[in-house]
Amino acid sequence: MPPTSPDVPGRFLVSKGILRIDRFMTAAIRLGGLGIIIAVFGIFVFIVSQVLPLFRGAKVEETSAIPFAAGKAPLVFGIDEWAELPFYYEGGSEVTFVDATGAKPPQTLPLTLPGGAQVTAASYISADQLVVVGTADGQVGTFTVSYDAEFGDSGKRSIVPSVTIGEFYPVGTSGGSIRSVGYGDSGDSKVAAAVQESGGKLEVHAVLLRQKRSLMGSGKLTKEGAYDLTPLLTGAPLQLRVPRTGDSVLVTTAEGVVDYIFLGGDAPEKRQEFKPFGEGRKIGSIDLVFGDVSLVLTDDLGEMSIFSLLVPEGGEQRVFVKTKTLPNLAGPASFFARSQRNKLFLTGSGAQVSLRHSTTEQVRWEKTVGFEVKGAVIDAKCASFALLDSDGNLHRYSLDDPHPEAGWKAYFGKVWYEGATKPDYTWQSTSGTDDFEPKLSLRPLIHGTLKGTFWALFFAVPIALLAAVYTAQFLRVEVKRVVKPMMEIMASLPSVVLGFLAALWLAPIIESRVPSVFLTFAGVPLTAAVVGVAWSRLPAQHRARLRPGMEWVAFIPIMLVAAWIFWSLGPVLESWICVVRDASGNPVTDPATGRTVMDFRAWWPQATGTPFEQRNSLVVGIMMGFAVIPVIFTIAEDALSNVPASLTAASAALGASRWQTLRKVVLPIASSGIFSALMIGLGRAVGETMIVVMATGNTPVMDWNLFNGMRTLSANIATELPEAPVHSTLYRTLFLGALVLFALTFLLNTAAELLRHRLREKYKLV
Amino acid sequence: MTVTESNGATAAAKPAIEVNGVDFCYGSKKALSDIHLTIAPRQVTAFIGPSGCGKSTLLRCFNRMNDMVHGARVTKGEILVEGVNIYEPRLEVIDLRRRVGMVFQKSNPFPDSIYENIAYGLRLAGERNKKVLDEAVEQSLTAAALWDETKDRLHESAFGMSGGQQQRLCIARAVAVKPDIILMDEPCSALDPIATLRIEELIHHLKQDFTIVIVTHNMQQATRCADRTAFFYLGEMVEEGPTTKIFSTPEKQRTEDYISGRFG
Ligand SMILES: Nc1ncnc2c1ncn2[C@@H]1O[C@H](COP(=O)(O)OP(=O)(O)OP(=O)(O)O)[C@@H](O)[C@H]1O
Ligand SMILES: [Mg+2]
Repeated sequence: MPPTSPDVPGRFLVSKGILRIDRFMTAAIRLGGLGIIIAVFGIFVFIVSQVLPLFRGAKVEETSAIPFAAGKAPLVFGIDEWAELPFYYEGGSEVTFVDATGAKPPQTLPLTLPGGAQVTAASYISADQLVVVGTADGQVGTFTVSYDAEFGDSGKRSIVPSVTIGEFYPVGTSGGSIRSVGYGDSGDSKVAAAVQESGGKLEVHAVLLRQKRSLMGSGKLTKEGAYDLTPLLTGAPLQLRVPRTGDSVLVTTAEGVVDYIFLGGDAPEKRQEFKPFGEGRKIGSIDLVFGDVSLVLTDDLGEMSIFSLLVPEGGEQRVFVKTKTLPNLAGPASFFARSQRNKLFLTGSGAQVSLRHSTTEQVRWEKTVGFEVKGAVIDAKCASFALLDSDGNLHRYSLDDPHPEAGWKAYFGKVWYEGATKPDYTWQSTSGTDDFEPKLSLRPLIHGTLKGTFWALFFAVPIALLAAVYTAQFLRVEVKRVVKPMMEIMASLPSVVLGFLAALWLAPIIESRVPSVFLTFAGVPLTAAVVGVAWSRLPAQHRARLRPGMEWVAFIPIMLVAAWIFWSLGPVLESWICVVRDASGNPVTDPATGRTVMDFRAWWPQATGTPFEQRNSLVVGIMMGFAVIPVIFTIAEDALSNVPASLTAASAALGASRWQTLRKVVLPIASSGIFSALMIGLGRAVGETMIVVMATGNTPVMDWNLFNGMRTLSANIATELPEAPVHSTLYRTLFLGALVLFALTFLLNTAAELLRHRLREKYKLV
Repeated sequence: MTVTESNGATAAAKPAIEVNGVDFCYGSKKALSDIHLTIAPRQVTAFIGPSGCGKSTLLRCFNRMNDMVHGARVTKGEILVEGVNIYEPRLEVIDLRRRVGMVFQKSNPFPDSIYENIAYGLRLAGERNKKVLDEAVEQSLTAAALWDETKDRLHESAFGMSGGQQQRLCIARAVAVKPDIILMDEPCSALDPIATLRIEELIHHLKQDFTIVIVTHNMQQATRCADRTAFFYLGEMVEEGPTTKIFSTPEKQRTEDYISGRFG
């Protein structure tokens, strides 16, 4: 503060109060501005923090190594969902459980096999906690290893294992010892299959069982058939897999061929034989990932491919097609464990351990451990896995990979999903964890956003800009005073209302009158142009009857009549060109009236091969256009009106017509403002949610077809966020969608701002 | 045009503008009443009078700039420009404005280069020939005594000029379309004495080719550059005559009072 000398008269001193208010306001405004910047930045940081985990690999850490089956030869081993009490089974009449914490000594539970049979082969289906065994006398059976959590008095959890023996079925020739077993259970059909040694030869046999269902609930399990599949095989069987679908058997042979044998029909049928790797290559391993429609195959050199069951284009049956290639392993896979929640699987060769994801073809984690891995198992929660080494020690690892299905490729690349005929950009999310692959490509959504925006602006921009120009430069002031507030009211219409109107009122009208809509949209502007030209040719004394700016009085009735004529001409046009034809190309006749069917809805898909939906881009374009028009109009009109009257007067005084003044003076000066208007309109269209949610089918398709729907990023967030569990992949992916939207608008706005700045520099009025 | 051959002496005798009993209203408010006035060609006529007496209004009637004002209209009488009633419906107002140019009180160059400002009027008329445009720009700038200052920066923004230069640019712009009449509404009100002097010299020079009507509050200016002067008061024209006569021996008492500074 400058020192105030006492002789300054009081009237020159600014009062303390004013200074205080001034300082306070300065501080408050600065605070507010900073607050806004911080808030926006905070939102950005929050979104990014939600998105980042999607792009992280798996976190794996060894937690402990325990002596497990030292000196033993376990056929199978497994683990409970808490990964505390692993078990192994040697093929005898007991199952051994080892406390991973080391608190209690190993405990065994007895297992009574029917007839004291001797087990020669076993496999573990972790999802069902089911051990499938094959016996020396040719039987295949199962037993369940289940765990129950019990809470003691102190509230401490203890896990109580139990072993329950299941059914045993004679498979194939009696007495032949079983080399390997497979078991698939889909609930109402079960397949048990085995490679059996018989007379020095290897045979493959399978039993199909069906659960008869009746009104009284699930009925008895009956044996549908027992088959010898050996004659169907290409060569000597090596490995056998039975998918959970319970309708087929997969056998690899010594010749490097996979035989796909289907049992769901009346008799076993070889659907397919294929050589997954090149000539002369052998199959190292065959395994099914979660969902049981994709095969992970490695060859004898460690090359890895995934084959999926799908109906190829032009085909009729589901067969295995190579869909993916993953990085090579060090050699043929010597162990395999799969997640029971997603498409993750753990495999490797020797000391190499690799965690991979089948959908995205990604290696999530890989390490060479200090021992040779004999076997692996992933717990039911996919939160840990265990590796068995050749000394019988069990190495336990914690596994943290919440978003294995995410990644750049999943979001922006083409992915060949299970069951699809080709790699594609697909959005088809799932919030649950079932065997359905979540399809998370953002491309269709970005496409939908751009498509919706394009069509909306396609309708809105010409109307809004021309209206703004007319209102600002031609319309008489007294009319303008009515028009402008009306447009502003229009801008404040909630988009829910517009969406509601679009879906329930506009969509059905448009659906039935597409040719009319087109004719009207093309015809009315054309009429306006023709009438305008004619008007300007009229001698001055006739034009003088309407004062400048009142021409609309004559134009509007003409336009209304024109609109009505074009609207009524729609069906006429439809009856000329929209001949609906049947499969053989003959016009279809309506059986009720006996006349040829003329219907645009049916004609369009036939003529163009693209679909016609009731809730389509045309509806969205018009309705969203309706939402965008007032935004663009208001801002553009302001920009146009703010062009100094002195300049328009200067132009007029030099003998410019209204149009010349507009084109040469008003538009260039207002260009930066008009540009802002367009950008704000664009922003509104890009972010618009409710209209799109309600007025489109929300189908995430990728085309520019005017008669198809779309799904936009914003609509996607609105529809799916309520379904997405917090911190799930879908939840984070929706945030990624938000981030993309953010980036999209940011990019557009920055580009626009730069351009606008240049325009403003060029036509600045100083 | 049927009188092209009788261009010479007869045209000089014919008045440039005739105002016959004009009443003018802004809405319901009367701004001019019963104005009778004849403006001779190739002469400078000054309009003087106190603020709000209707000088600008009358000036703006001559090129119908008042059309742009909502509710403004001539309610009585007629205005003839070179013998043609300019309020007749058949008349194209654009044609009128090409013949009656205007310079405004505040300079108002377009946000464009000096060259484009001058060429604007010609381009409006469809002139595309670069040589013709170049020539017209040079001529008009020379006529506006601006050529020497601007010939090296023709393609720079007009906003880079001083206020006085900008006003002369506006005059050059009006001159470029070669009108018959140039209306000037207080063209020097925002300028310093030297710039004012230069514009006055310019007016003096321009009167060889154009009929000039100038509104001014500056008595000296009127005496310096006007051949004839009209004095307005409260929407009426009080007196009109040769400038020397108006300023030395006015007929009306109110004129005398005004020019001697007793009111206004
Ligand atoms: N656009 C308008 N709308 C309504 N009234 C107007 C308008 N322009 C001028 N007037 C009125 O008409 C009268 C004459 O105005 P005019 O501008 O012709 O005065 P002037 O003689 O040019 O004054 P000054 O010397 O101050 O420029 C004034 O009373 C003014 O209030
Ligand atoms: Mg004035």
